[in-house]
Amino acid sequence: MKRRGNCDNFSTMKIALAQISPHLGDVRKNFDLHLQYIEKAKNKNVDLLIFPELSLTGYTLKDLVEDVALSPDTNPLFKKLKAESRKVSLVFGFVEEKEKGLFYNSAAFLSEGKILHVHRKVFLPTYGMFEEGKFFAQGKNFHTFSTPYGNTGMMICRDFLHYGACYLLFAGGSDIIIVISAAPGRGIQDKEAYETNRMWELMGETISRFSTTFLIYCNRVGFEDGKHFAGGSFIYDPMGKFVAKASCLDEDFLLQEINLDDIRESRKKWPYKRDDKPEIILEALKRIVKNYED
Amino acid sequence: MRINAPFVEKILTSFIKEELSKFDYKKGILGLSGGLDSSVCAVLAAKALKPTNVIGLIMPYGEIFSEDVKDAKEFAQLLGIKSRIIDISPMVDAYFSRYPTVSRIAKGNKMARERMSILYDFSAREKALILGTSNKTELLLGYGTIHGDMACGINPFGDLYKTQIRQLAKHLGIPERIRKKIPSAGLWAGQTDEKEIGLSYDEIDKILFQLVDKRMPKKEIIASGFKKESVEKIISLIKNSEFKRKLPPIPKISFRTVGHDFLFPYDWDK
Repeated sequence: MKRRGNCDNFSTMKIALAQISPHLGDVRKNFDLHLQYIEKAKNKNVDLLIFPELSLTGYTLKDLVEDVALSPDTNPLFKKLKAESRKVSLVFGFVEEKEKGLFYNSAAFLSEGKILHVHRKVFLPTYGMFEEGKFFAQGKNFHTFSTPYGNTGMMICRDFLHYGACYLLFAGGSDIIIVISAAPGRGIQDKEAYETNRMWELMGETISRFSTTFLIYCNRVGFEDGKHFAGGSFIYDPMGKFVAKASCLDEDFLLQEINLDDIRESRKKWPYKRDDKPEIILEALKRIVKNYED
Repeated sequence: MRINAPFVEKILTSFIKEELSKFDYKKGILGLSGGLDSSVCAVLAAKALKPTNVIGLIMPYGEIFSEDVKDAKEFAQLLGIKSRIIDISPMVDAYFSRYPTVSRIAKGNKMARERMSILYDFSAREKALILGTSNKTELLLGYGTIHGDMACGINPFGDLYKTQIRQLAKHLGIPERIRKKIPSAGLWAGQTDEKEIGLSYDEIDKILFQLVDKRMPKKEIIASGFKKESVEKIISLIKNSEFKRKLPPIPKISFRTVGHDFLFPYDWDK
């Protein structure tokens, strides 16, 4: 991380994406896997290390949800990860028991020994092959929070495919949007990637470009009950330009330096942020919601 | 319907490798018929696990299909996998001499279950996981013997249509002699899948693809150029074989019931 002149902000930072295959239902093993990647990241002077959705637990939990749930304030492993975040900031996924008996699919951002934010997945896919709504409680907010690298917003997997959610992070002032994911691949027609890999990239390209933010997407790999998680983690810059991408089949450690000045440069050229009208959107949304309640 | 064969190969070999390691197996075992599907599965297993960790059981009924036995044996040698011929006629004949039938289907099903029984026995003897070879076409049509050839530990290409397996076979370099064989369940001499179903695999797969993958309504599929009877036949085969794709229903009595709301992943603790 390099400071720019006499300014307080950082201009460049090193990001790493740990595209892992978590052990289903085994928090202890996954914690050790996280530590291995944290070591790797420290050796490479990484500022921010990002893990996929439910990285501490695995995805296809079903009735295992309650067994792997933890509370960030009291859990001893969480405490250790907080300590690690003094050297490298961390984003990872876990099952959170926020209120007794209510389990959330959550993402934590830890930095400088503290929890800066916990995002609880709002859009829980429950259709076809997905059944998150059966096992998880729904989060209720998309919050932009302050980090050493700028204002940041987090989403979990399906959240990101709802552009209304992306808009809330844009309107909330995010400079960096982080999406953690456990997305299974579908469709095998053309390229050496699933058709759904392109779907995520398309959203990444679009949202980064029209929100003038960095867009960091960290997916997982491996099989669970035959579902094949399709990796392909990526980074787009605030101009919507592709920066880096991980393998779509294999475990990977994607290391990338980014220049945070790009955010400013992009917004000078493309003033979507300056020209946004959240009040108009809000009022229009209220009218829409009111109408369909009538 | 077109697949990127190299990509599919990578997916399936990683699947086989990962599943075996999850369930703590080093070896895979499968029935080799000398036909297309089991040959493709053997190649994938050999690539995923090393040939010496793959066992192919060739299980003919007496002397019929001796050409296929020869093909299977030669192909196993070519791949460098272990193979073994087990004639199932003594076991099957012993049963039917006591309980005779004229039904070819009943005999065929018994043979398929005899092979299953041997595969499971050898799976335990060899500590090898059974690799299934049912493809998506067969699974959807129910063109397989329940607890017979449909029984397995993992089913690597249950999501590939027969015609897609042909594409994969070409990419994997399966000998033309095997690739060009007329598909047969091998239940009796002269049987072919297409004759028995009454439609060609090309036609079946195209209809299934529109029906299942594209979720197109029957009317539109017929309008796109398929015979009404063909489409209806396929729909009826799918409906009447749902029981082969599910665990049997359990009447719900308690608050938590297997198959209803006792919900754990297949990969539980793996």
